[in-house]
Amino acid sequence: MTETIVSVKGLSKCYGSTVAVKDISFDVQRGEIFALLGPNGSGKTSTLESLEGIRHPDGGRLSIAGVDPVRQPGRLRNIIGVQLQTSALPPAMTVEEALVFFSSYHGVAARYDLIERLGLAEKKRLQYGKLSVGQQRRLALAIAIAHNPTVVFLDEPTAGLDVQSRTDLHTLARELREKGATVILATHDMAEAEKLADRAAILVRGEIVALGSPRQLTAAGDRRTRISVSTELGKLCAEQVAVPFALLHARENGYSTYLSEDPGKSVSAILSWIEKSGDALIDLRVERPTLEERFLELTQDKSTQGAAL
Amino acid sequence: MNAFAHHLAYDFRTGIRDRSKLLMYYLFPLVFFALVGGLMTSLNPGFKQTMLPAMALFAYMCASLLSIPLLLVNAREAGVFRSYRINGVPAASIVSIPVMSTAVHMAVVTVLICLAGARFYGGVAPSNLAGFVIACVLSYAAFAGIGTLIGVAAANNTAATLICQFLYIPSIILGGITVPLSVLPAGLQRVSALFPASHCMKLFMGLAMPGSPGMPWGSIAVLLSSTVISFVLSAVLFSWDSRATAPSRKAWAALLAAVPFVIAAIVGV
Repeated sequence: MTETIVSVKGLSKCYGSTVAVKDISFDVQRGEIFALLGPNGSGKTSTLESLEGIRHPDGGRLSIAGVDPVRQPGRLRNIIGVQLQTSALPPAMTVEEALVFFSSYHGVAARYDLIERLGLAEKKRLQYGKLSVGQQRRLALAIAIAHNPTVVFLDEPTAGLDVQSRTDLHTLARELREKGATVILATHDMAEAEKLADRAAILVRGEIVALGSPRQLTAAGDRRTRISVSTELGKLCAEQVAVPFALLHARENGYSTYLSEDPGKSVSAILSWIEKSGDALIDLRVERPTLEERFLELTQDKSTQGAAL
Repeated sequence: MNAFAHHLAYDFRTGIRDRSKLLMYYLFPLVFFALVGGLMTSLNPGFKQTMLPAMALFAYMCASLLSIPLLLVNAREAGVFRSYRINGVPAASIVSIPVMSTAVHMAVVTVLICLAGARFYGGVAPSNLAGFVIACVLSYAAFAGIGTLIGVAAANNTAATLICQFLYIPSIILGGITVPLSVLPAGLQRVSALFPASHCMKLFMGLAMPGSPGMPWGSIAVLLSSTVISFVLSAVLFSWDSRATAPSRKAWAALLAAVPFVIAAIVGV
């Protein structure tokens, strides 16, 4: 049975005459990883900061585990954990001090296991100002989850992280979900959202233009499968070959790329043609539409609409 | 240990660990004291009378005007306050804890100056120790309040530095630290009343040093009212990040802290 843990109804946020968020609504269930996606200036951070109690919304109703972020900021602090996109700690504060310091404000014992889990155990006496960007972000994450929050907000969590740290963070986010925490992340990284999120909302110019699971979001767009083929003699590139259920999309770097509505039949036809023509296959790639492509489709549509208006 | 105590202990430790704090809390005032103490006492033996309070006051000014405001501005600009906010650190702690931890460092520096000044330079010791402590506390509180207010209200690091220098440099010349207030021309004595250092020196001389000219009630009133206004305004104008309030509006509001000094200069306190 699902339980709504975060409820956003009609949220609006303006900065002077600039409308950052326009009357958006969505719910997030307990134990869900929910992604907010959107280009720069789409309203992701304003939405997150309104939920975190950092910004006061101009309209709408917000609730996090029954707590109103505007009216009950004190109660909010202990039920949410936040890794901000732009924040810092005092440069002279050591990793260990930071953990103890913030845990004391949350009224919990410092969780040293977290600095070990996040690969910071050997750095615990190092000052914040001497940590790498990746280490600083991992420390921010350790602080965000040290008090076992019900909802964890991650704003661009993997920015500046290397591949291993990124994978570790994804594993940690899934572990948090398994323990019943809800994770809300804002990211530019579509692959990350596709891999990690149970559901995602795509924001463009302060409005939600799509909401659903990554699979639902990609399915709602251009469903054609991309087939890229490279052959030894390059005959496929040189000749106009009619492939059933597919249209030629591009020819570049020795690859012919088709968009197919029936990839099974198209691939079979391509392979037969290569064999008959006396050529030989080097590489064949069959790719489903990605969330990134759907995202670009949606954001470009919206930008074009905005420009037309 | 509760959160406040953890925060205070952490802030106190960084007074020694953080190079910029170490420089402004200890190295700069003590080196200045060592140089000026030797030079001034040989050039002007009368300086011995004011040396201990003047050098203690100089240390308070270094910490309060050259360190606290910039630390606050830098922390706000870097997003440290945002990290504090999302983790429930109250604004009152952010404003008050640096003042309290710096007070402990200033107590150490004051003791060092008094012991070394009396021992090596023949500085005149206070005749009223309790009065000296009260003058130290009031002087530090006045400067710490002003420093905190500048840190809270200044739009950025450059603005904070300029405002602090505007107070710091004339205070050394006109505030009775290097030149006794009594030798200043009457017009400049009026001008000196615009700067907190002159009232602090009057407080030390009236409350703690031999040959007291009497209780400086006017300066006490000016310093107390300035301290209260500064801390109240710091609490009211505090913002968690640079975008929250229009900097110019805050700067105008912060000027209210100067009102006691302007009145003192007009009425001739």
